[in-house]
Amino acid sequence: MAAIAAERYTGASIKRSEDPRILTGAGRYVDDIKLPGMLHAAFVRSPVAHARVLSVDVSAARTLPGVVAVFTGAELEEMTVPGPDALMALMGWAGPTPEFTLLATDKVRFSGDPVAVVVAESRYLAEDGCELVEVEYEELPPVTNASFALDPGSPPLFANLGDNIARLHSRHEFGDVSATFADADRVTDFRIDVHRHQNMPMEGRGCVASYDTDSGAMTVYAATQSVHVSKIAVAMRLGMGQDKVRVLAGDIGGSFGLKIGASREELAVAAASRALGQPVKWVEDRGENLTTSGQAREESFDVRAAVSDDGDLLGLDVKTVIDTGSYPGMGAMVPDIIEAMFPGPYKIAALGFESTAVTTNKACYVAYRGPWASETFVRERILDLIAKDLGLDPLEIRLRNVAPRTDPPAVMITGRPLVGVTTRESLERIAQLVDFPAFRCRQAEARAQGRYLGIGVATFIEAAPGPREPEGSSGPMGNESMRLRLEEDGIVVLFTGQMPHGQSHQTTLAQIAADEFGVPFEQVRVVVGDTDVVPFGLTGGSRSATMTGGVALHGARQLKAKVVDVASHLMEASASDLEIADGQVFVRGDPASAIGVGEVARRAASGQFGDGLDAQLEVEAVFDGGEGGWSGGSHCAIVEVDAETGVVTVERYVIAEDCGALINPSVVEGQIRGGVAQGIGAVLLERSAYDEDGNCQSATLMDYLVPTACDIPRIEIEHLETVPLDADVNFRGVGEGGMIVAPPTVVNAIEDALSPFGVRIYEQHLSPARILELVAAADPGQ
Amino acid sequence: MVDITLSVNGVPREGSPEARKTLADFLRDDLDLTGTHLGCEHGVCGACTVIVDGRAVRSCLMLAVQAAGSEVTTIEGLAPDGGLGPLQQAMWDSHSFQCGFCTPGMVMQAAAFLSGHPDADESQIREALSGNICRCTGYQSIIDGVLLAAKRNRER
Repeated sequence: MAAIAAERYTGASIKRSEDPRILTGAGRYVDDIKLPGMLHAAFVRSPVAHARVLSVDVSAARTLPGVVAVFTGAELEEMTVPGPDALMALMGWAGPTPEFTLLATDKVRFSGDPVAVVVAESRYLAEDGCELVEVEYEELPPVTNASFALDPGSPPLFANLGDNIARLHSRHEFGDVSATFADADRVTDFRIDVHRHQNMPMEGRGCVASYDTDSGAMTVYAATQSVHVSKIAVAMRLGMGQDKVRVLAGDIGGSFGLKIGASREELAVAAASRALGQPVKWVEDRGENLTTSGQAREESFDVRAAVSDDGDLLGLDVKTVIDTGSYPGMGAMVPDIIEAMFPGPYKIAALGFESTAVTTNKACYVAYRGPWASETFVRERILDLIAKDLGLDPLEIRLRNVAPRTDPPAVMITGRPLVGVTTRESLERIAQLVDFPAFRCRQAEARAQGRYLGIGVATFIEAAPGPREPEGSSGPMGNESMRLRLEEDGIVVLFTGQMPHGQSHQTTLAQIAADEFGVPFEQVRVVVGDTDVVPFGLTGGSRSATMTGGVALHGARQLKAKVVDVASHLMEASASDLEIADGQVFVRGDPASAIGVGEVARRAASGQFGDGLDAQLEVEAVFDGGEGGWSGGSHCAIVEVDAETGVVTVERYVIAEDCGALINPSVVEGQIRGGVAQGIGAVLLERSAYDEDGNCQSATLMDYLVPTACDIPRIEIEHLETVPLDADVNFRGVGEGGMIVAPPTVVNAIEDALSPFGVRIYEQHLSPARILELVAAADPGQ
Repeated sequence: MVDITLSVNGVPREGSPEARKTLADFLRDDLDLTGTHLGCEHGVCGACTVIVDGRAVRSCLMLAVQAAGSEVTTIEGLAPDGGLGPLQQAMWDSHSFQCGFCTPGMVMQAAAFLSGHPDADESQIREALSGNICRCTGYQSIIDGVLLAAKRNRER
């Protein structure tokens, strides 16, 4: 061979290996699965928010030609095992635990609650069957907001709880809260609301469950962020051994936190398949997705801030109430993360944090991209409000309060070391990329013409994975496993529990492994989505860059060492003299000695080396996150607000971010832009709205508005030089940051635009109508 | 059931869908062309866009029987041999997509638009694609892909 050169894929925008299939219609999403004898399910859903179910008459539906079966809630209860929400159980939830069934039995708890499932020969016929199911309801007073839910007189959604408290009230203090507030020059109170909005992936939930009566085995084709979590949920609720359940997943049309594990409907479909001995498919329609799949946020924050006259944010005292909707989900657990993250990158010396979560007659609270993001929204919002009170510039107040990078590092008052955090650098870079003085001139000129431009800045850090704690015995995010194998055709196969749904893992993990092992990128195959072959894992929490990227790197290194060991016997050379590059093993300095890695694998499999040598070219690698580190960055938006119509246009959006070493810049930038688009949507368009009776008012995409290509500007991204903390793995997660920090960035810009009216903003959702209300109600004297 | 014949991706096809069956369901269920995706089934998201007699159409809002006698092109038929056509190649080169669910509709919408507007600029492309929702990308990479395809087409 002419030359052996180690190509470097890591850090380059390698084209995605996922794309040829998705660009030609050859992707395989759950709704593309078609099995012999497959039936179709549709759900009868409650039209009211809170009611007793008096009777369910399915007799007419059962006689409809094409309908194979109808299961009521009571019948399904007989077919399944009671238990808590599987994900909350896995995460060790110990708070109030509602008892509920997969389909409603005695009562319905939100508009859209499933009451019965119709299984038919086609989806059309299943929906026809649903029309024939008669349910008699006795309506109960709906609990549609947190303040009513906190009232001990509100009717409890779950009888076994006796009230509507989903998380018992708690208060924690970090630092000396009372002294900090007593000594402060100023104490200011804020009440800030974050509205209910939701993931809205392009593909909703769905599954095909296929029970084999002969073997007693269940196969579920799922759309999930973790095939193993889905498997555990199915096994738990169907009372099956985990060895009897296999979950497979192919391409997944987005999720953003929605599709973790198996939902009540998916579990009901699995139970129906077992009862019928036939495969059953259910794919939710958009109406079901918007009204029943789950929604996020809806949190209120009463905040007291202790501030010095110079603009030092000394302490915060926060009371939050989370409206978790009806059935158990992420909402009861999220205050712990909000609390831990509340200080952000700032040198806040004291934090009081009180939290409560309540159940209401609305869709369940699910994880949504940066589930704890309200801490950033509230903190970055009040920094601007404080800056206004003190006449400080938004950049100035942030630079003043950012913890300096010291050795040893500053520690968040809630405990985590701020090691390697580059918030100051990102703010300073924003100030260079955006000419603030020039903008202020332009803003003044525009105002003179009756046009309202505004600029907003916000900054965030994310524990993706977070720093290794100085005294910690384990890494920042638990362990991540991967199995790696060298095949006889020279392909390096990675088996990962990550379940990509847009994150490009089949590209990025291959980049890392190809470099570390020494094969061309095309010679690495990433296997996902089969509980029979992949280790436990979950795509979420922005963990895959560090955790899975890291285990791919270390695993490839371990596999390479084994291959070199075998090759050293084959080639009668010392292992220390061997290298692998471009898929060839060779003696350093002697390219003519090269043999392909596939040849090494074939020879290893031949058994020629006997027992003295480990010739199994497979490793089970585990990575604990190494030194970890923070992801973060600062964003800046320039907006124009039309004070006549309330319409906001985002004119420019600039980002200086640090997600450590980049694996694939195009993938990283795609994650950031997508998150920012969702954040812009959350502020300007998206709201999961309910009326006072608990009817969901945003059941179509004409009511739940998401951004289009005309709403999102070009987003300018600059990657900062990072602070490496680990000897090998300095990739950090970037999936959630855009969504975490875009809402305060945009709201801060809108408030700046409306400052001539004296508008102060204490909420996140700013529809045109709301902007006009704010302008009308504002006090220009402020 | 209604007997229909139509041309799909240049191949004569026949079928007997129920009168109420949408073109999208007919393509996916009866013809096994699952590249066409259903994102909302009420004509807003554009994921199900196919080309019918030269025009981009939402196949969730059209009945299969309405397509009788028509020429339908789906994502599977955009490139002749199942490979990548110039637009698809430009979108691959531009890292246009992430989860891929909006992709078929977005590509078909862009293909139909570019064929009539080969010199379109960015704002025209954004407008033309504004009826196709992508939840992953923030659109910039998709717009870049369409711009690249248009540029390459002009230079050819």
